[in-house]
Amino acid sequence: MTLLTVENLQTHLHLQRGILRAVDGVSLHVDGGETLGLVGESGSGKTMTGLSLLRLLPEGSGRIAGGSIRLDGTELTELSETTLARDIRGSRIAMIMQDPMTSLNPVFSIGDQVGSPLRNHGIARGARLRSAVIDVLQRVRIPSPDQRLGDYPHQFSGGQRQRVVAAMAIGCTPRLLIADEPTTALDVTIQVQIIALLRRIQGETGAGIILITHDLGVAASLCHRIAVMYAGQIVETAPVRRLYRAPAHPYTRALLAAIPRLGDKRARLAAIPGQPPSLIDPPIGCRFAPRCAERMDKCAQAPPLTDLGDGHTASCWKLGTA
Amino acid sequence: MLQLDAITKHYPTRQGLVRAVEAVSLTVAPRSTLALVGESGCGKTTIAKMILRLETPTAGRILFEGQDIAAMDRIAVHRYRRAVMAVFQDPYASLNPRMRVGAIIAEPILAHENPGRAAVTRRIEEVLDIVGLPAGAARLYPHEFSGGQRQRIAIARALALQPRLMVLDEPVSALDVSIRAQVLNLLQDIQDEFGLTYLVIAHDLALVEHFSSDVAVIYLGRVAETGPTAEVFAQPRHPYTRALLAAVPQPDPDHILSEAAAAGEIASALNPPPGCRFHPRCPRAMDLCRTTVPVPSAPPHITACHAPHEGAPT
Repeated sequence: MTLLTVENLQTHLHLQRGILRAVDGVSLHVDGGETLGLVGESGSGKTMTGLSLLRLLPEGSGRIAGGSIRLDGTELTELSETTLARDIRGSRIAMIMQDPMTSLNPVFSIGDQVGSPLRNHGIARGARLRSAVIDVLQRVRIPSPDQRLGDYPHQFSGGQRQRVVAAMAIGCTPRLLIADEPTTALDVTIQVQIIALLRRIQGETGAGIILITHDLGVAASLCHRIAVMYAGQIVETAPVRRLYRAPAHPYTRALLAAIPRLGDKRARLAAIPGQPPSLIDPPIGCRFAPRCAERMDKCAQAPPLTDLGDGHTASCWKLGTA
Repeated sequence: MLQLDAITKHYPTRQGLVRAVEAVSLTVAPRSTLALVGESGCGKTTIAKMILRLETPTAGRILFEGQDIAAMDRIAVHRYRRAVMAVFQDPYASLNPRMRVGAIIAEPILAHENPGRAAVTRRIEEVLDIVGLPAGAARLYPHEFSGGQRQRIAIARALALQPRLMVLDEPVSALDVSIRAQVLNLLQDIQDEFGLTYLVIAHDLALVEHFSSDVAVIYLGRVAETGPTAEVFAQPRHPYTRALLAAVPQPDPDHILSEAAAAGEIASALNPPPGCRFHPRCPRAMDLCRTTVPVPSAPPHITACHAPHEGAPT
């Protein structure tokens, strides 16, 4: 069942230098119990897409300029800020941020911070709040949570802090979890524990997850489908096996060739020349064309989205429209 | 080229002694690349700092081309600082934003010699060319460059005095995937062309396998396993090495990650576990591991483990 549908989302950042089109026509959907990976490099618009869903854009400069975001049939772009804060943000859509050092407040105890969304959204109050917080901390596998409610973030290790951040997000049983680089700040042996935790949370709650990551390894281990972003746009979407076995867009193929992998005997990595374009004044036509090894004259015009069947779509002239 | 002989670094703190590095012995051959890998807090950066003479070992010796770097006189230290250069992780923090690129690259040259303005300018242009930047870059400021280009500038600065050893601390981890390969390939080309020796600190094991000739796996300040990279990765003997390799996410949806190989988290260097420091997380731990520090096996593939694995991982 489709949980979230985003159509032609446009998010603009109004900067002194001009309008930065951070998200430029993104369409995607997520089902309940499904994990969609939003993969791309810094500045590709993946985090801005996630923040747009929660309307947490930079104050003053950020604005959703167009498009539609529907969660369980409710059009979020038409809701008032008050309604969104009361009914959606933190309760039906919650976010796990990258850096647990900055997403936890150092001067409040863990019990306060995990309890606050439960209190604000009326899930538990008073005496029941304490047991509800203990219950959530247990679900993210914090050992002896009843003894740790009064502890502060600095008294937890990096991996435990990320578990606490996850606890804050899942307390209200959100329908959609947005996880923005949830393992990037962690060591590999801890990373694998957090990946397992996210998978378990999804199994227990049936939530849809949008995983925002630059790491094609993490995406492969957690996602059912993957959308690859480049310069504010999704260039390819495919079921996970399809994307890694038969990538269609030259950018996806170049990314997969650029990363070293264990057991790989290549003497040299296939580097992608150049760098991503500015989104204040993006190139006309295909935005990857200036770096693309397969570029043709036609690429000066924007390529149409081609349906390759079985949920696999990509925007590239090479794929033709026949 | 470089030899670490049982180096130890303890930091006294109010809470007690932090045993950051404990009796680490390693050798780096000329023109080779030794990678130090391990989790945050394992002491790999402290080791690099001691090699750069930014920290003094509590015990043990560091020999560079046979000479003890702690026993050097002023002239020898000066020569050592020319021969050993560093490139750091974050090119946004390691370049002075108020200096033009030309001045940034000239700084180490002028600290060691004064060859005259024309010679300095020529050298700036040479190293910019080596790292693939136009000569005009010298007149610009760091903020006018992208992350990948800034890391090229940091590499150019390190090359300015024709060093023999470069310490690379996470040289590409702040860069985007599509840019990483460019910088890694550049570093390999420079090494081949100028016969450099690299000591690289990295947490990305796939990158280490690709980039290094030798590897040392560090756990809580001790060497768990070291040897030629190809051999260590193909037939890892230490359970910690196996755990690290099993936890690396692969760009392959059918690859299964193993969570079981290293339970829990790294202990504190303030109060390291007795015996083998990995034993609280080790699935193979026996009584002996809890009491006795394992003795390293014979080179070239050295393992410090009472119950090492044999053969390739299944």
